[in-house]
Amino acid sequence: MAGSGTAHLRDDPNVLVRVEHMVVEFPISGGRVHAVSDVSFDLVEGETLGIVGESGCGKSTTARAVIQMPRPTSGNVFFRGTDLTTLPSEALRQVRPDLQMIFQDPISSLNPRRTVRDIIAEGLRVWGSRGTWTPERIDELMAAVGIDPRYGERKPHQFSGGQCQRISIARALVLDPKVIICDEPVSALDVSVQAQILNLLEDMKERYGVSLMFISHDLSVVKNISDRVMVMYMGKVCEVAGSDDLFARPAHPYTRALMAAIPGRHSDDDDDGVLEGELPSAIDPPTGCRFHTRCPHSQQICKTTEPEIRGIGDGHFVACHFPQVAGVE
Amino acid sequence: MAATTTPMLEVDDLRVRFATPAGTITAVDGVSLTLGERESIAIVGESGSGKSVFARTLINLLAGNGTRTGTIKIGGRDIDELSTAERKHFFGVQAAMVFQDPMTSLNPVKRIGAQLTEAMRYHLKMGKEEANDRAVGLLRQVHIPSPEKRMRQYPHELSGGMRQRVVIAMALACEPRLLIADEPTTALDVTVQKAILDLLDDLRAERNMSLILITHDLGVAEGRADRIGVMYAGRLMELATAKDLFADMRHPYTQALLRSIPSTDMASHTRLHPIPGRPPDLLNPPQGCAFAARCRHAQPECVDIKPNLLESSGDHWYACHFPVGTSEGRAALERNETAGVTAAGLPLDEAAEEFV
Repeated sequence: MAGSGTAHLRDDPNVLVRVEHMVVEFPISGGRVHAVSDVSFDLVEGETLGIVGESGCGKSTTARAVIQMPRPTSGNVFFRGTDLTTLPSEALRQVRPDLQMIFQDPISSLNPRRTVRDIIAEGLRVWGSRGTWTPERIDELMAAVGIDPRYGERKPHQFSGGQCQRISIARALVLDPKVIICDEPVSALDVSVQAQILNLLEDMKERYGVSLMFISHDLSVVKNISDRVMVMYMGKVCEVAGSDDLFARPAHPYTRALMAAIPGRHSDDDDDGVLEGELPSAIDPPTGCRFHTRCPHSQQICKTTEPEIRGIGDGHFVACHFPQVAGVE
Repeated sequence: MAATTTPMLEVDDLRVRFATPAGTITAVDGVSLTLGERESIAIVGESGSGKSVFARTLINLLAGNGTRTGTIKIGGRDIDELSTAERKHFFGVQAAMVFQDPMTSLNPVKRIGAQLTEAMRYHLKMGKEEANDRAVGLLRQVHIPSPEKRMRQYPHELSGGMRQRVVIAMALACEPRLLIADEPTTALDVTVQKAILDLLDDLRAERNMSLILITHDLGVAEGRADRIGVMYAGRLMELATAKDLFADMRHPYTQALLRSIPSTDMASHTRLHPIPGRPPDLLNPPQGCAFAARCRHAQPECVDIKPNLLESSGDHWYACHFPVGTSEGRAALERNETAGVTAAGLPLDEAAEEFV
């Protein structure tokens, strides 16, 4: 997989975030970890973009690099036309309220020594009110995310994981952001609670007009919440498509392998199911298509030439020399 | 629960209580279960349902503040009647366990080889070389490439999937007849998860092993187990063959659990149905059915009387006064819907589903 190229970027006036050729590398002794390698994508206002892939595929790094934590090694990140990668730090700070984040572990991402009301209102103390929310209206925000405002003086340990995630959502919303980056926000929750949080995110998106970048390794969750889904492997984009479309006709062999591995779906044709071998090293990634070492359809060209992302119709894009689609092969 | 030969595992009315400063917690509350040879059963439940405590109790791992009542027979032997000498070489040999987190269940400062051979040398009195040869064979069997090299490595040099395979190899070292796997794939990616579950399937067939798979993931249970038991607040709510459980579920909790899970078969943005309310406080367990407060079928009877796990037809067991798919169940739900509230006080309108 591989995929470089920008064929999937859209010329939509409502594009909020546009990432072009983003590279994130971490120096280590004896080399560099190629965490994100030439990734491009965009996020349109009101949209939820799901980013899915296995551990180490660079999905979290991609999302964090969008908010310049860390700053990408190269490439551009445009937020409403402004390139964040070249923005001086004070100017970047001014943009940050628009880009909020929700983390995986709901309990450790809240300060245990502060009250829930303080945690939610902290953004207002730094920035003052930016529109909808004021310190006087925190109760209303708590109620909106399903936390009883009478519990405002309690501390995070007095809440369950699901409730802490609601508090994180309130904290992210308080500054009227444009984009909320959700990094595995439901992975640590029980399934019954997971459904509450997914529904809540949908409601908040609708009510407050935020766009979401939703990172998860769980394909069913990503399908449920996303409008568009981007599949990543070893720091590269494999496939980008509308949520229903991606699941109806996955074209990249890696996407197909991921889907075949979803538990509970025991199909008889198992050929896409098992990925041979281990994940290659991100310090010395494979040449050509990075997925070629494990791909059942790999040919000579896959070892030498990196495939460009190309459209296969209906806003469905894939970075593969031999996509599994009738008529394209 | 039918079994013609001696069952591999018989659990009768197992109760586990923990004394805590705040009071006594009943983590497992009267679980009975029989598992045949080569059979696999999945125990499904959310955090706090008692599924892990149940699993650990089976191999006699109980925290110091815990007490157990009820009998456990493994391979026909009552574990309370084992002599001290027998007991020493029983757990880990007859019945072995694979724990959830492959990072913390391996010793970070000992080589894989040393950890893998320890049990064989102690339990089976093997010499160093023999144990080493066997360990290499085990690693090969769990599909670890270049096993000789891995034997000399430390856990941190292996990936998560690899470490979990090592932990499985360790559990298999003494050829257990019963393998208990507590969330063996929860920390792993889906593709690795599939490989590990496939491996457990193959090993079970090869070695005539019985398997207890503890999981929170109904999907994992569906594909991998002959039977599934659904646990809630320390009790088995429903127990059936995997096929029956999904095709003909009876317990409202099982139904609620399934309705809350997104599936790739659903269109994107399908509204999910969370389970309203919260699990009961195990310090002050409700008098009646533990699920009554969150159940759409709840009637006065449910609040007062704890339902027993009873067999309805062909090995399908459930503990419910007003089961799904029966006329009683339908009538109960209708009554509640008309009233707009259940007997336990749960409102039944759409908005209520969202409330924490």
